[in-house]
Amino acid sequence: MQSQQTNLCTNDYVIEMRNITKVFPGIVANDDVTLQLKRGEIHALLGENGAGKSTLMSVLFGLYQAEQGEILKDGKVVRINNPNDATALGIGMVHQHFKLVEVFSVLDNIILGVEDTKLGFIQKKQAYKKAQELSKRYGLNVDLDAIVENISVGMQQRTEILKMLFRDNEILIFDEPTAVLTPQEIDELMAVMRGLASEGKSILFISHKLNEIMAVADRVTVLRKGKCIGTVCTKDTTAQQLSDMMVGRAVQLKIDKAPAKTGQVVLDVQNLCVKGAGNKKLAVKDVCFNVRAGEIVCVAGIDGNGQTELGYAITGLTNASSGAIVLDGKDITHKSIRQRTLQGISHIPEDRHKHGLILDFSLQQNMVLQTYFQPQFQANGFIKFQQVQQYAERLIEQFDVRSGQGVDTTVRSMSGGNQQKAIVARELDRPHKLLVAIQPTRGLDVGAIENIHNEIVKKRDEGAAVLLISLELDEVMNLSDRIVVMYEGEIVGRLDPATTTVQELGLYMAGAKRDTNKEEC
Amino acid sequence: MLKRFFVAVWLWLKGAGIAVAKWFKNWFVKVDGKDIIPVRIGRWFKSLFVSTNNQPPQLVVLYQKDGTKSVLSSLLCVGAGIAIGLILLILVALFSKDLQANNVFRGFFILISGVFYTGNAANMSVGFDAFQLGNYLTRVTPLILTGLSVAIAFKTGLFNIGAPGQYLMGTMASLLVAMSIPATTATAQFFVWLLALVVGVVAGMLWGCIPGAFKALLNVNEVIVCIMTNWIAGNIVTWVFSGSQFVNPKSPGFLYKTNHFGIQNPRLGMDLLFPGSWADGGIVIAIVVAVMVWVMLNKTTFGFELKACGSNRHASKYAGMNDRRNIILSMAIAGGLSALGGALYFMNGQTEFQFSTTYQTLPSVGFNGIPVALLASSHPLGVVFSAAYIAFLEVAGTKVSSFADYNEYISDLIVAVIIYFAGFSKLIKDLLSTKRRKSKQVDAVQPTTQSKEA
Repeated sequence: MQSQQTNLCTNDYVIEMRNITKVFPGIVANDDVTLQLKRGEIHALLGENGAGKSTLMSVLFGLYQAEQGEILKDGKVVRINNPNDATALGIGMVHQHFKLVEVFSVLDNIILGVEDTKLGFIQKKQAYKKAQELSKRYGLNVDLDAIVENISVGMQQRTEILKMLFRDNEILIFDEPTAVLTPQEIDELMAVMRGLASEGKSILFISHKLNEIMAVADRVTVLRKGKCIGTVCTKDTTAQQLSDMMVGRAVQLKIDKAPAKTGQVVLDVQNLCVKGAGNKKLAVKDVCFNVRAGEIVCVAGIDGNGQTELGYAITGLTNASSGAIVLDGKDITHKSIRQRTLQGISHIPEDRHKHGLILDFSLQQNMVLQTYFQPQFQANGFIKFQQVQQYAERLIEQFDVRSGQGVDTTVRSMSGGNQQKAIVARELDRPHKLLVAIQPTRGLDVGAIENIHNEIVKKRDEGAAVLLISLELDEVMNLSDRIVVMYEGEIVGRLDPATTTVQELGLYMAGAKRDTNKEEC
Repeated sequence: MLKRFFVAVWLWLKGAGIAVAKWFKNWFVKVDGKDIIPVRIGRWFKSLFVSTNNQPPQLVVLYQKDGTKSVLSSLLCVGAGIAIGLILLILVALFSKDLQANNVFRGFFILISGVFYTGNAANMSVGFDAFQLGNYLTRVTPLILTGLSVAIAFKTGLFNIGAPGQYLMGTMASLLVAMSIPATTATAQFFVWLLALVVGVVAGMLWGCIPGAFKALLNVNEVIVCIMTNWIAGNIVTWVFSGSQFVNPKSPGFLYKTNHFGIQNPRLGMDLLFPGSWADGGIVIAIVVAVMVWVMLNKTTFGFELKACGSNRHASKYAGMNDRRNIILSMAIAGGLSALGGALYFMNGQTEFQFSTTYQTLPSVGFNGIPVALLASSHPLGVVFSAAYIAFLEVAGTKVSSFADYNEYISDLIVAVIIYFAGFSKLIKDLLSTKRRKSKQVDAVQPTTQSKEA
């Protein structure tokens, strides 16, 4: 492999990471990993969750210091002790979990740390112009005046990208940037990335979406369980081959499922209206649909078209302003979250850090977040710690949640994918009639996605009703039995995945096509 | 019957004797293939310092535990605070013509010996003085409870700066009950005392509910409401007692001692341990309450909910917990704890409550609950020790001014600086947790120069 590489390229490496080893308590995150980034190339870093991709990039960005190995910039050894050193070297990073000040405006976040000042006053005008220009040029479409906590996850991601572009960085690290983007946006981002690379910027692209890597990257380095498996040119390989390299076994990319055996209606949503953030306008307008037992209904749409609010209204995180939500024949529109949970709603939330987990709690405490008071875990108000531990250990085993110190690991220290697996494990294992899954595979690798999709299909076959809210077209097409498309808070299409195409679905999602029949009202 | 009893006792003694004998035998002879006890102790000591069975040295394992780091950082804070205290003592002496080197030495000696200092300005000595220690324990009691009050609010993500107000309301309510219900027999007095205690706690809980309710229902910052309720409480107390029949005519501005009405905390044997002092069962009650708070926070579903709300309110809402109820309850419990502190301190029997100044000066024991909780990293059992330490400093401070000729304000200042240092424990803990980087790059180029070249 090494010799092949040297034949392929000149020695114009802008960044070389040689023999990096990074150890965390109980886990070797990087084991003798070597990564070489050429000037002007898009280099993908591929690996499962917990394979050590994020750790390796954090070492490069100065967030962690490696126990062994060295980093070379333009052929010279450098020491990167903190992100400031990395920034001085022209390395910019878009993190998987955004590093934004929630109460600041988008522009404030972009200039944070590089503010131009005159007599101590921040000069925002020029910065605004530059940011605006960049935003337009790369089609990021970011509202610079919006407050970060009010904008969608997708726009927050784009703010991060803009932030990095604003700093004129020459080495750009994208840590799973496409996880929250729509297919169109992904295409645009890919164009942006190619443009940047042709301008001589070098891009490190962390992803586990094989088709994206095949489409955009020049070379791929594959990590598995902290070890470097190899570096290959995308020209010489296939998606299947990469996925086998990454997982270490043959993976099924497409899911097998039997036709749905639908039962009675479990969830019936009638003329539902929900107010958006800030209570200004309706985010969900007069929506009607139902989900029957044994089927997966998918709400498709571009981020920010009311799907999140719809999910929140069904699970109780926000109140419906009018309309009715009926679960199993009982009106739950005004029931509390606890009552809904007990009536059989499982909920995989969109934002795992805000809603899904308590990051400073241990894994086992998070596993019983909704069930800690039930008789199997509680007696006379006291928690049965042994039962909690055994339960958590079983879930970890069953769903392959990897963590440094087992059930006692603080969830904050776990990788994003494993955090998501922990939530999925908790929600799927809880007895439920309805599963509301909002972006359940966001940030997960193919192996884990396969696993979660199979679990969801299994739940469906066991007779659960599944409401899937997803931004990823592959997931929508693969998993659903029926598709409901939302655009600007309204249902604009009801499709059958068997008879529809991705292109048609895209037209509905973009609002270019709409049916207004309200058959399920 | 009696014979059977003796036989049972004999058998038990015999069994115990054999066990003891076996244990002694273990010291010298191998039993059941196990090594003799000195060897095992030696091995245990070795395992503390040297890696054995692929386990790192046990001391390292212990050091890496989170709790150890908390304790260590608190101890470091205490040490740093005392060191700063010494520097202040020296600095003040340098700029004062009345203070000499021996004042500095004596001042520092008193600062670290505190309640154990039994000497005076002329001769220095340390020792156990039952009177001093007993009175010291009565000062520790309310500090433990206000410390717990702040700590439990911290665990729920709230900053209870309202402890002084809750303390005052608890004091007022329990003193009103204790002084207005006549009781002549010992039993009646006990029940009046109990009633007074309960009424005081309930008053404090209601007072604590106010900022809790504002926070939970209207999302008003609890600090603002707490500060306002503090001053409202201070004014109410002065207003209620001014001109009332409870004012002691011999010392205007103070109320009668509660033992004037025959009401005082049960002594629970503390008067025998510390004869002649004010020591009472309050300290026992405070420690028992600390243990109860620890059990509640760590072992019960309620504590789980409180901590969940404190760590991530959104996630606890998602999980179906009633975050609003938990915030109000947490503040109510915090208020009840502060109030219990006030009630216990002023129903000691010997203490006098000065009601005339509360509208101007809030009781410092309420505010000192904050450093107590910080120093203990909000651990309920740690609070007992940190309260003991802060009370120790207060005693030391008064002694420094009376026996080492330091101005009383300066001794207060020194104590304040040390207490201030208590707030650094989180910072020091984070520093302890930071991993030292093992760099093997010898001729590394600094990145700043590198970027200039580029």
